[in-house]
Parts: sequence; C-alpha cells; structure tokens
Amino acid sequence: MESLEKMPRSFEESVLPHMDAAFNYARWLTKNDADAEDVVQDASVRALRFFSSLRSEDARAWLLTIVRNTWYGRFPRRAEAAAVTVTEEDLDSRADASPGPEAQLIQQRTVDRVRGALEALPTDFREVLVLRELEGLSYKEIAAVAGIPIGTVMSRLARGRDRLLGVLTAGEAGGGQSGLP
Amino acid sequence: MDCRDVEGVLDAYLDRELEPAESAPVREHLGACAACRQRLADRESLGRLVRQVSYYTAPPALRARLAHSRRWAPGTSPRLAWAAAAVLAVSLAGSAAFITWSARTPNRVDSVAEAVVDSHVRALMDQHLFDVRSTDQHTVKPWFLGKLDFSPPVDDFASRGYPLTGGRLDYIAGRPAAALVYARGQHTINLFVWPEASVNLRTWDARSIRGFHVRHWTRAGMSFWAVSDLNDAELDVFARTLQ
Repeated sequence: MESLEKMPRSFEESVLPHMDAAFNYARWLTKNDADAEDVVQDASVRALRFFSSLRSEDARAWLLTIVRNTWYGRFPRRAEAAAVTVTEEDLDSRADASPGPEAQLIQQRTVDRVRGALEALPTDFREVLVLRELEGLSYKEIAAVAGIPIGTVMSRLARGRDRLLGVLTAGEAGGGQSGLP
Repeated sequence: MDCRDVEGVLDAYLDRELEPAESAPVREHLGACAACRQRLADRESLGRLVRQVSYYTAPPALRARLAHSRRWAPGTSPRLAWAAAAVLAVSLAGSAAFITWSARTPNRVDSVAEAVVDSHVRALMDQHLFDVRSTDQHTVKPWFLGKLDFSPPVDDFASRGYPLTGGRLDYIAGRPAAALVYARGQHTINLFVWPEASVNLRTWDARSIRGFHVRHWTRAGMSFWAVSDLNDAELDVFARTLQ
C-alpha cells in the first residue's frame, strides 16, 4: 500500500516543482507566452504518460527533454528556420532610446539589450545558453536535453557567448575595455 | 598552454567542466596572461547579465491547470491506472471512506461546465459547429428567431481579433441554448448563451476541464459560457470584451 500511495504522488513531487524551468525553457524556445503555455501543457501531459520511464533522480532535465521534443514536434519549421541573424540596428536603436543618466535606466537598457540579443541568437545557441546560464545544467545534462554530443554543447556555448559578446560590445567601441559592467 | 589552447577550453573552464588536471594549466596561463584573463572576465560578466535578464516563471493559471490536469490526463500510465484501481478497491473495502467519496456530488455549476465542454468537443468532433454559417451578426441573430424562446446577444468582434463565424442551436443540461462560434487564429471558441432568471448577482468563473478553458459569467439576465482550447490569457480577453 505504501508504494501505491507513494507512486501517484511522486509526479507532483518530482515533476510539478519544475514547471518554472519548463516554462522558462519553452518561452525562450518559442519566444512568446501563448506558444510556451501550449508547449508546457502538452509536455506535461506527455510527462505524465511517460512518467514510469523516469529512471534517474533528475526530473528537471527529463522534463526539459520532453519540453524540447514537444516544441520540436509542434513547430518543426520554426525550429529549423530559427537561424535568424542578429539585427544590430534593433539593438542599437533600443540602446539609444533611453539615454537617461540614471543608473536604473542604464541597467534596464542593458537588460533589454541582453534579452534582445539572446532572443535574436539562432535557437541552437540560445537554448544551450539558457540551459547553462539560467538552469545551471551541466554539459552532460544539456547534451541529453538537446540531443547533441557534449562536444557540440561546448562549441555552441563558446560560439553563442562570442556572438552575444560581439553584439553587446558593438556600438560601445572605445567606451571602455569590454563594455560590460 | 598558449592563448589559442586556452581559448579552446575557456568555456569549459568557466563552466567548471574540466577535470582538475585539465584546469590547472589553464589557471596557470591565466595567471600570466592579461588578455585571456579579460576574455574570461567578459564571459563571467556575460553570464551574470544573462542570469539577470529574464527567468520566465510559469503563469499561475498554467500552473493551476497542470496541477488540475493531473486528474484527467489521457493515457495515464498503466502503473498509475493500476494504482488508482487498487486505491479504489481499498476505498470500497472501507465502506465509510467510500460513502464519503460518493457523497461528494458535483454542484450545478460543475455539471454545467462539464456539459458545455462536452458540447464543445462534440461539435468539433462531429464537425457540426454551424447551423448558420456567417460572419455577419445581422444574419446570425435573426436565424435564432423562432428557434429559441429568447434572443441571444450576437456581436462580431473581428476588429478585436475574435471574428464571429456562425452559430447553432444546442442543448446544455436539458435546455436549449444559443451556441455562437468565434475564431481566434486556428482556435475555435464556443460561446453558449441562455437566459438565467435566477441569477441576479454578477458571477465570474474560470476553470479548465480536460484541457479546455472555460469562462462563465452572467450579464443582463443571460448566462454565458465560453469554451476553447485557446490559451488562458486570450480567452480572458475574449470574455472581458463581451462582459
């Protein structure tokens, strides 16, 4: 009886706590709230269905894998065509729009620029950065979630960071050593 | 190690993915090379910035829906089904528990909510959404004349992104209802309307049943039920627009 009671409860205990992670990942993949909600809802239903296949303790990486597969199944064309080039004009105009001297404005401006730059990255780079920086997943976990070799995780992270740094420091040339706080 | 070697493993070093034996020479090089130190510092700053940017947390409505969906989700694993069956068997054995369980009958609003979702699903599955198919409210509204003992308010909200696409006659919980059909992108919204004389207070109810979102409100002696697989936020906008 104990095992029976324990088992149905463990979905709540092991998977539901990671809904924020699931939504955050889906939101960065889809880049809009409505699609992210749809993906997370579908993924949760699948997670429940395949719950018995969860072997490891790491329910979060497992759930994120399902989120990714769900997203990929739902938006295959978008997933492939996601390689958008960074529009630096957008970022620059955003940066120039608020020239206020207040530290808060500068901070907000920076946040907006980083978000814009991250959103503009091709999905391949964006997702490894989100999984690494926002979820703190290890390379091994990222490899499992994104379905790519660990070496690819490393090179995508390196190239993604290079591109982000390139975009964020562009237009601030001569304005300091790195242009980053 | 020279700068090129270090550059190749700098991210792995930053992310603490190197073995101690691998990271030692990197650290040694960094101690001697200001350019590589700067590269590392830039990447650390970038990481801090990205972590500040945006962590999108799950909207409360989605969270509630998912916690709820746990009970109806299709394709529940056989293990769970067996567990549920076993739990039920145990409940049956303990008659007191069973009586408590069965005595908890759903209230009227619950059963109406179930009924409108059933109707929504049935209409979509049978592809019988429309008795009258028109985007013109002045065609749809008169169509109900003589078919119902009341005249439902029929408005088009195309300008707000919710165009009227038609209507049909339906039966909800044993009484005739006007079913107005609206579109939102690829999603269909069924809006059920019937008079509700007993309801004086303005009511508002939001829930999700079997993956469909339901909004219920009353206005001017009419009971309104909107059902769709549209996301929560957009269905809310629709409902608020009508209210």
